[in-house]
Amino acid sequence: MIKKSIPLYALESGDAITDFDFIGFTLQYELSFSNVLNMLKLAGIPLKSSDRKDLKQIVVAGGPCACNPEPLADFIDIFFIGEGEEVDLEVIELYRKCRDGNKSKDEFLRLAANIKGVYVPALYDVEYNEDGTIKCFNPKDGVSEKVEKRLMLDMDNSYYPENFVVPNIEIVHDRAVSEIFRGCIRGCRFCQAGFLYRPVREKSIEVINEQCHKLCNNTGYDEVSLSSLSSSDYTEIVALLTELNKWAEDEKVSISLPSLRVDGFSDDILSKINTVRKSGLTFAPEAGTQRLRDVINKNVFEDELMETCSKAFNAGWTKVKLYFMIGLPTETYEDVEGIAHLAQKVVDTYYRCESKPKGKSVTVTISTASFVPKPFTPFQWFPQNSRKTLMDKQLHLKETITTKKINYNYHDADTSYLEAVFARGDRRLCAVLEKACEKGFHFDGWSDCFSLESWFEIFDECGIDPDFYACRERSFDEILPWDFLDYGVSKDFLKKEREKAYNDTTTEHCRLKCSNCGAAKYGGGVCFERR
Amino acid sequence: MKDVRVWFTKDNECKYISHLDLNRCMLRALHKSRIPIWHTEGFNVHPYATFPLPLSLGFKGERECMDIRLVEEYSFEDIKVNLNKSLPSGIRIFDVTEPEMKAKEIAFSVFNIRITSDKLSGDEVYRLLDELFNKDEVLVEKKTKKKGIKEIDIKPFFNDFKLERNIGGAILNITLPAGSVTNINPLLIQKAFERYYNTEVYFNVTKTDMLNKNLKSFK
Repeated sequence: MIKKSIPLYALESGDAITDFDFIGFTLQYELSFSNVLNMLKLAGIPLKSSDRKDLKQIVVAGGPCACNPEPLADFIDIFFIGEGEEVDLEVIELYRKCRDGNKSKDEFLRLAANIKGVYVPALYDVEYNEDGTIKCFNPKDGVSEKVEKRLMLDMDNSYYPENFVVPNIEIVHDRAVSEIFRGCIRGCRFCQAGFLYRPVREKSIEVINEQCHKLCNNTGYDEVSLSSLSSSDYTEIVALLTELNKWAEDEKVSISLPSLRVDGFSDDILSKINTVRKSGLTFAPEAGTQRLRDVINKNVFEDELMETCSKAFNAGWTKVKLYFMIGLPTETYEDVEGIAHLAQKVVDTYYRCESKPKGKSVTVTISTASFVPKPFTPFQWFPQNSRKTLMDKQLHLKETITTKKINYNYHDADTSYLEAVFARGDRRLCAVLEKACEKGFHFDGWSDCFSLESWFEIFDECGIDPDFYACRERSFDEILPWDFLDYGVSKDFLKKEREKAYNDTTTEHCRLKCSNCGAAKYGGGVCFERR
Repeated sequence: MKDVRVWFTKDNECKYISHLDLNRCMLRALHKSRIPIWHTEGFNVHPYATFPLPLSLGFKGERECMDIRLVEEYSFEDIKVNLNKSLPSGIRIFDVTEPEMKAKEIAFSVFNIRITSDKLSGDEVYRLLDELFNKDEVLVEKKTKKKGIKEIDIKPFFNDFKLERNIGGAILNITLPAGSVTNINPLLIQKAFERYYNTEVYFNVTKTDMLNKNLKSFK
């Protein structure tokens, strides 16, 4: 495109991106930040918000990584905080009015900041202490000090697309998707989504059923995936699957559940979902020992995992994938070894299963990701393990495994490190991103395009120490870059959860007992279900 | 159960849909149009649709076909109308017939190829192509499924062709062996050209027809 001077254009219409009033990005992953800037560059749009002076090409962003928007503060005009179904329409409506009224971009942004769920970074100033931490975060021009997230309380009546663009070329997740609920009751302490999307709100069986059927009819897909965090926590999951199968079986449509917990794997569910492709089953115990699983509040027990694996082996599966994290708070080498021991117990379980496939061996694949502490979790103050520690732990685990029945894959510690820098970074990282874009960085989430060394050079040029963001223990008193955002979960709750974590104490999930996280203030969802 | 042959064209941006994606695209369209097609009954149940001779990526197809099986009565006209409603505009169904020949009877493909160059004049392109076609042998490297890369002589396959001077280059109409036994991709001629004359040329390929061994149009 650069060679032939073709500016970036919209996939569906072919229109140049420069001609658009709004350019929106979903921020799913910190390492895609370089892509955001590269796309603006390819489109020929000035990177910095302050260099785009007219009321056009408004660059907006939302999604999970918008919960710490600061590393992108110089580039994005408007961040949507929380769920976007309504707020984007309100902003666009305001834009139309401003355009018709010949208002300036600054006037528009100032008015947009009054809409709940809108964060305009240009309207805030940040001052820093000598030690580099934030001294204060000052709103300008009378805008609100706190920005509160938006959320959809009534899932049944929220907008959900019944028809969408179906690419003619295979994509990832090449199937229809229906969201069955938002949020997660579990409160695993490492999981950002589990805190950002509180409270849990379910869609009714009737609405899901209708949406799934319409989606399949409109797109032609013969597979529909029920999307949510921890799908088996849907209160009436079996009834839902039964209802869906009433038409799905006749129409040869298969139903899949992307996210099953170890303890949610029942025969009832198994018999009703897509069991055609017996390629492998995946579970995520996340940590190797019960103590560490208690620290992260995973609430999965070893015997549950063995029972579930037995069920799967007896039903004909011979491959199991287990996901873990290394570098979790309080982790010892004993916990790391625990991962290998747990995998060995799964192997042993296979050979005890009486109805296992005859004459076949078992393969247990363990994958470890390196833990990245994220904002709005009880571990937001935690220093990430150094890359050396992470690699030592990976090596140690590798050496603990003695059988060929266990495969071990691990996620590169370098990318997790950069992810940790940007996840909890502040506005001073904008200079780094700008430079990275100048140098043509993109697709940093792809290993073939990623080089931590070249990122270190840029940090150096900008006089920034990345360890300050990734590997520094933060105190409870420190003003965190994202403290001005209100996701409904109180900082006091997160502090209490961290204390409990360090005492190996678990917290019961939302349906068993309310832990007063703060999300009840929205007046709906699981907080008001009868327990 | 009734075997049906669906005839279509593949053009414009749809030239860039690969064979596997075309398969998925057709299955989605069949599902959307609720045409009662037969599903395989094996371990992995899936809708049945096959393509007697797949079209290479980037080629325009004027007479492509797909075989399906109906499990209920469904008019040919309705198949055509309903599938066209569900397919992207670059893929158009123009006829639906009962198959007369078997897929394996396909022996040749007929191509119309527009050949141009950024570097050479139209006259030059034509002259060099003419020279290439008059060589005693035309050696080119061909990827094979088993042995990796093999050098073959494609000259023996230049039996039925017509080369004409055209604006910016040349037009080549050529019939080449196709099907499961011998399959000669016309882009091998491009490869040969680039190998012998060490310069880039563009081949804009349209597959116009498929023939059986008696050079009768495949039906």
